[in-house]
Amino acid sequence: MAPHICQLCNTSRAQILRPKNHARICAPCFIDIFEREIAETITSTNLFQPGERIAIGASGGKDSTVLASVLKTLNDRHAWGLDLVLLSIDEGITGYRDHSLDAVKRNSVEYDLPLKIVSYEELYGWSMDQVVAQIGKKGNCTYCGVFRRQALDRGAAMLGVGHVVTGHNADDVAETVLMNLLRGDLPRLGRATSILTSTPSATMSKTDSEAKGGEVTITNVKRSKPLMYAYEKEIVMYAHYKKLDYFSTECIYSPEAFRGSARTLIKNLERIRPESILDVVRSGIDMAKLVPNAEGQPKGAVEAVVRNEVEDEAEGGCGGSNAKEVVSEMAQMEQKLRQDERAEEAGTETEIKLPSKVLDGQRPDRDVNPDLLPVAALTTHIQGQTHGRQAQTDGQQLPSDIRTVTIRTKQEKKSSRKATRDAPPPKQKLGQCERCGYLSSQAVCKACMLLEGLNKARPRTGIEVG
Amino acid sequence: MPGKRTSINPPEANRLCKRCEIQESLVVIRAEPLCRDCFTRYVHTKVAKRMETFRVRYSGIGQQRKLLLPISFGVSSVTLLHVLNHHLGLQQEKTGRTGFDLHVVHVDTSDVEDNTAGAALMHVVQKRYPRHTYSSILLSDVYDSEEALSVLNMLEPETNKAIEKHTALHDRLSALLASLPSATSRADMVQILRTRLAVRFAKLHGCEAILWGDSTTRLAERTLAETAKGRGFALPWNTADGESPHGLAFYYPMRDLLKKELIAHADLAQPPLAPLLWEENRKVAVSTKNVTIDELMARYFETVEKDYPSIVANVVKTTGKLKAPVTSADDTACGLCHMPLIEPRFQVEQRCDGQSKDSMQVEAPRALELSLCYGCARTMPEDTGLLP
Repeated sequence: MAPHICQLCNTSRAQILRPKNHARICAPCFIDIFEREIAETITSTNLFQPGERIAIGASGGKDSTVLASVLKTLNDRHAWGLDLVLLSIDEGITGYRDHSLDAVKRNSVEYDLPLKIVSYEELYGWSMDQVVAQIGKKGNCTYCGVFRRQALDRGAAMLGVGHVVTGHNADDVAETVLMNLLRGDLPRLGRATSILTSTPSATMSKTDSEAKGGEVTITNVKRSKPLMYAYEKEIVMYAHYKKLDYFSTECIYSPEAFRGSARTLIKNLERIRPESILDVVRSGIDMAKLVPNAEGQPKGAVEAVVRNEVEDEAEGGCGGSNAKEVVSEMAQMEQKLRQDERAEEAGTETEIKLPSKVLDGQRPDRDVNPDLLPVAALTTHIQGQTHGRQAQTDGQQLPSDIRTVTIRTKQEKKSSRKATRDAPPPKQKLGQCERCGYLSSQAVCKACMLLEGLNKARPRTGIEVG
Repeated sequence: MPGKRTSINPPEANRLCKRCEIQESLVVIRAEPLCRDCFTRYVHTKVAKRMETFRVRYSGIGQQRKLLLPISFGVSSVTLLHVLNHHLGLQQEKTGRTGFDLHVVHVDTSDVEDNTAGAALMHVVQKRYPRHTYSSILLSDVYDSEEALSVLNMLEPETNKAIEKHTALHDRLSALLASLPSATSRADMVQILRTRLAVRFAKLHGCEAILWGDSTTRLAERTLAETAKGRGFALPWNTADGESPHGLAFYYPMRDLLKKELIAHADLAQPPLAPLLWEENRKVAVSTKNVTIDELMARYFETVEKDYPSIVANVVKTTGKLKAPVTSADDTACGLCHMPLIEPRFQVEQRCDGQSKDSMQVEAPRALELSLCYGCARTMPEDTGLLP
């Protein structure tokens, strides 16, 4: 069979079969079109402002390495004038993160970008090694997850940077869309496909932020995913052909059964029809417009979607779970749904006026399903579908001056079950943690709560790690 | 195993039915052991609940409401017929008349699709439930109108031969399907055309709504499959009960029943439904090349349904919460699937911009008439410019 000629330049021999659309092209053309497509994404969504300071969330893995390389290239090529800096999080896990951090350091030198490494130790006073030494190996993933969610924002604030970019790719977003469909999590589904998310204060008017002295606080950091439409396979290809230096930190083994299931589906879909990954993303974007917001109206096009404390995006890198935990997440959800269904059918669902205080130290998740709540109150679990993910903080007493979380006031007035089903999701006031100022729907954010628990039990003598 | 109809659960044989506590249980439904009668009642009640709008009291005397029931001879649509037949019988008994008339239609695709029921089972079904009207039509009939003609002319002008009517129609359908790049596109196209044909048939025969036999499992499959095909925007219209953009109401009375429950019921019904059913021949080892997206999702949910049935139901419930945007009759509709396009996406003209290998000579004015949604643009014959 005669060698193929590159379909783009019609000159060189085509070495690559492009995963996205099976086009046959040569390596230089591939690099070019890959970069052009990302540039197109950035300009068409007005992702960056000229001269903006951008922190690139760098884990040393392929996505963030490629992201850094491409942004640097495009910044120079198109003279966007962006002030790029690499931001890396050190959880303090010896023998794991050290290697990828070395890769980031090398990247910093290679692309001539300043690097800031922020460690859990410095942010919270606890490294993961210390946490594990304190509480053992069970439930440590929760701590890591909660800390990491805030770490990027806090790190950015320390640098005075208001915009963080992460390397989430099309496969990640597609997985998240399918996962949220499987979990029945509409609000997250609505947020999963936004290329730009921000905390409420970031959408404040200019005058407000200027009044604050133009200061970047952790409450107004924007996050975006410029690689959102790039295929994972193409990212790997790009890194290969550009000979980029990265460390594989991928946690192939996902702690969540839903995400793992969704990941398998995506891989199979890709085999059947490679374009389907982007089709899922496209569907997700369209569906997001159909998700009813708090008033029960469809959202319509939302540009900068507001995040809440619970991080919606895939945070990889946690390899601590075992097989039993994986299977049990789906089984747990199954159990819960069944219980609720049975109670509904048996008519034991009643309207219970919930005190505005939160029971059991559980934060009422915005994602709580309205139908399930009254029954949930019977079983003293307020959690909606995120049951398996949040740790039980035993024995936590909430301060009595808790910020009002107005759940269910609308529903208390409705008497019929049908009306309950159609009631809009509970409203939650997004305020600030009184300890650290981080965005939270409760008086004390999750991280501070966990830290309080850790600090109480901390022995007088320091723990030597290492 | 796919297709196997074992429903009797030996370990449960000695337990009492949880609901009546009299008879022995024969199946376990969502962790409850049930006897034959209670189980049958369970299935019938779920359907009856969804048919509330068609009670006798809501139908005017002398104005009989008509509903279309497309049947595929799969377990879901046959069960629906069985249950509705019983339901109507009860209505007749109690009030002397019925809330609606059923028109059962079978869209025969066996001349263009493998592995699908032919019209032979129609006689068997008709014999068992004689009170209703029955029709069988060919999928190629979708070309039997001026409207449809123009669509096809756009795509395959060369294959448009003037021969004897049915052969001609059949040929056009085959040609269309042959021009599609993948098994997924073909399956998708057949599905879309079948729906369109059913809608037209319903309107022709004065039916006010179509009752589809889709089970919870099938609806969950459809949700994910359409998402994967890029039609997320149309999910509310594809899965919800009520007015559809086709100008008719669509109802899914089986939406609260899982496929495996229906399979179990088919065995326990009296007399059993097996003679009415077409056994789907699910090839176990199919190469990945020929698996379609729909099949992928079907297999996936078959597995999930085994151990986590409530999760399947939850997917459908969640999709039901998506709110369809408000549309008006003036909105452009996708030329293929007829879903409203909020922002008209793809003009077919784009695809025939000269790069296509087939170099279709399409006059510009015609080209601009057809807009396609994202998902249908995927299914239509691709722009072959970039491929060897």
